[in-house]
Amino acid sequence: MFRTLTLLLLSLVALPLQAADDVASLLKQADAYRLPAAAVRVETEVDLYRNGALDKERSYTVYMKPGRRSLILMKSPAEAGQKVLMLADQFWLLMPESQRPLRITASQKLLGEASTGDIASMTWSTDYAGSKADDVACPQPPAELSQMAGSAAPKAATRCLHLDLTAAAPGVTYSRVELYLEKASKLPVKADLYVSSGKRAKEAWYVAKTLDGQQRISSMLLLDDIQPTRRTVIRYRSIVPKDAPDEFFNPAALVRNSLSGW
Amino acid sequence: MPYLSPARCRVQWALQHWHARSPRALGVAEHAGLESPFHAASRPVIGRLCLAATLLALAPLAVAVEINAALTFAPTWESRASASPYEVGQGTTHNGSRQDLELRLREGGFNAQTTLRWQATEGNKPEQHGFANQAYYDGDLGPGLGFTVGKKVMSWGVGFGFRPLDVVQRENRRGVNLPALTGLPLLALERFSADSAWTLAWVRPGAELGARTGSDDSRDSSLAFHWYRLADGDDLHAVARLSHRRGFEAGLGATRVVGEEWSFHGAALYQRRYAKALNTLAENGGLLATSDPMLATTQRNGLKAVAGAQWTGSHWSVLAEAWYDADAYSRAEWQRLDALTAHQRTLAAIAPAQAIAGNIAWSSQAYLPTNLLRENLLLRLAHDNGDDFKPYAELLLTPADGGRVLTLGASHEGDRQRLTFGLRLTFGLRQLGGKPDSAYAQAPLRRAAWIEWRWALF
Repeated sequence: MFRTLTLLLLSLVALPLQAADDVASLLKQADAYRLPAAAVRVETEVDLYRNGALDKERSYTVYMKPGRRSLILMKSPAEAGQKVLMLADQFWLLMPESQRPLRITASQKLLGEASTGDIASMTWSTDYAGSKADDVACPQPPAELSQMAGSAAPKAATRCLHLDLTAAAPGVTYSRVELYLEKASKLPVKADLYVSSGKRAKEAWYVAKTLDGQQRISSMLLLDDIQPTRRTVIRYRSIVPKDAPDEFFNPAALVRNSLSGW
Repeated sequence: MPYLSPARCRVQWALQHWHARSPRALGVAEHAGLESPFHAASRPVIGRLCLAATLLALAPLAVAVEINAALTFAPTWESRASASPYEVGQGTTHNGSRQDLELRLREGGFNAQTTLRWQATEGNKPEQHGFANQAYYDGDLGPGLGFTVGKKVMSWGVGFGFRPLDVVQRENRRGVNLPALTGLPLLALERFSADSAWTLAWVRPGAELGARTGSDDSRDSSLAFHWYRLADGDDLHAVARLSHRRGFEAGLGATRVVGEEWSFHGAALYQRRYAKALNTLAENGGLLATSDPMLATTQRNGLKAVAGAQWTGSHWSVLAEAWYDADAYSRAEWQRLDALTAHQRTLAAIAPAQAIAGNIAWSSQAYLPTNLLRENLLLRLAHDNGDDFKPYAELLLTPADGGRVLTLGASHEGDRQRLTFGLRLTFGLRQLGGKPDSAYAQAPLRRAAWIEWRWALF
């Protein structure tokens, strides 16, 4: 009797730990659909729509390295020469007019039309943690998603895993994420993104395509809850493994143009 | 006309551009020949058309070689204070306009930024000239070790309205509608690791170090050193500079971010020598001079310092910053100059009007420096809700004499495409005032309004 009770207690203690491990494993599997390697270069195009009409187009080159390090190079004419460096929860901005890296806060990083966190943060497993995954019906995608995906439109709703995630590292763009993964494949389907006040800020939908025989997230649709007339489409034109040297992620090195060969 | 030219013209010219264009950026720098001269004042229109055609031809290459071009149109309207004791002109307004066609090119380590400028100010003949803002090469000598050679903008330090550690570029941070910065010729060695960096720069290497060639800081040959380290999330800076004009300068600075909304910064610079232009009549006695009495006086052991805090919420940002600049006038120095100017104006019945006007014009050069008083306090409120329209308000106070400068402005970013065309519009209004005997309240300039349209062509 005593042995049975002990086993029961141990299993009750172990269950949450196992569930947490499962969530961490699920997040790593989901991340693999977004990034093929730990150090990459991502060519990104962002289209900003207002009231259904295309308002702005932007281009970015993003270098990412382990340790939550990201360097964003802005390529559009109106922003040419601007750079944003993210080292975990520390951020710097370089404006080409001043040639001087400017330290900015996490709040300043969020200002502007497009959050740099939406562009430069592509790994949930390093930024978030959760305790359990619920088996739920997949949410119904909005009509815009079918138009975006074209022939690669996702299949009808299947069973999904629902993960309620909270920020596990300081300085992440969103304090809470409700993530939906396809139950069978662990492919990201949708994420509800919450800011620190507890309010849902955005709804993200993911579109996958088959590249080199593997399914990859090729684009993302962001619906803005705070400013509902806006939506943002982020397209990943290319994601290639590229291990840029550590010194490029030094704030003082932003003034140099050394990344042109990378 | 011994009193009204050329100093009179120079002062009038400078006052027209006061706070709208930095004397260093436009006046001293251009007159000193900092920019690669291919002055085109007499070139026909066909020259401009050729340049425009060249830019259009370069457009398809823009993606591969990273070429960007932008057209800027920046008119300024200035209202002058006819009641100012330092105003000697007849007009009540001075308007001007600047149009820049800017080309940036980046290929490998090579960087170039050139400007073709058409500029007109009321009462002056329009000018056209072209120059290189920057033209430099960043080379690599090994992992984390590089060099820079050429003409480059090199800005250092921390601060919003004033940066004591910016000992090389010395950017005017309080101007409005300023054109793009122009770099200095230099040779630099740079070392970078993951969390630290240093730069050793020989600025203006053409002039012999220590030679008496430096009439101002931008002309002074110097050796400058900058050290940076990211330590426990704090940005740490140290600078040192050796030049003829300033002697030895050294300073420290830091920025700390607290939480997601607060940042704090501070910096201080010691200068072995510092200089300011003082009116010898005001300092030593006398009423009227027959040659420019504003002479640069060198003093020892100067200090420049800044401290500030910034809070950024979801849509609002508030900045408070205080700084001290030994290069600027003290309250007592302004009072002596004010007393001299008032006395000179009482001589109208016994001295030639030109002599009085000329002396006052010379004295008004006291309004040329970026900081009019040593002690300054800046408050800034800005709003950004993610829309195109971003307004801000700034209040600069000079506690020593009760002066103030209020600036209201906004920026707007219009439609912009991925590869071609983008529009940025900035506009604002600046009003000077404060206690009647304060430097700002007595300034020849009362208010200024400006607009800048900038089209990114590709």
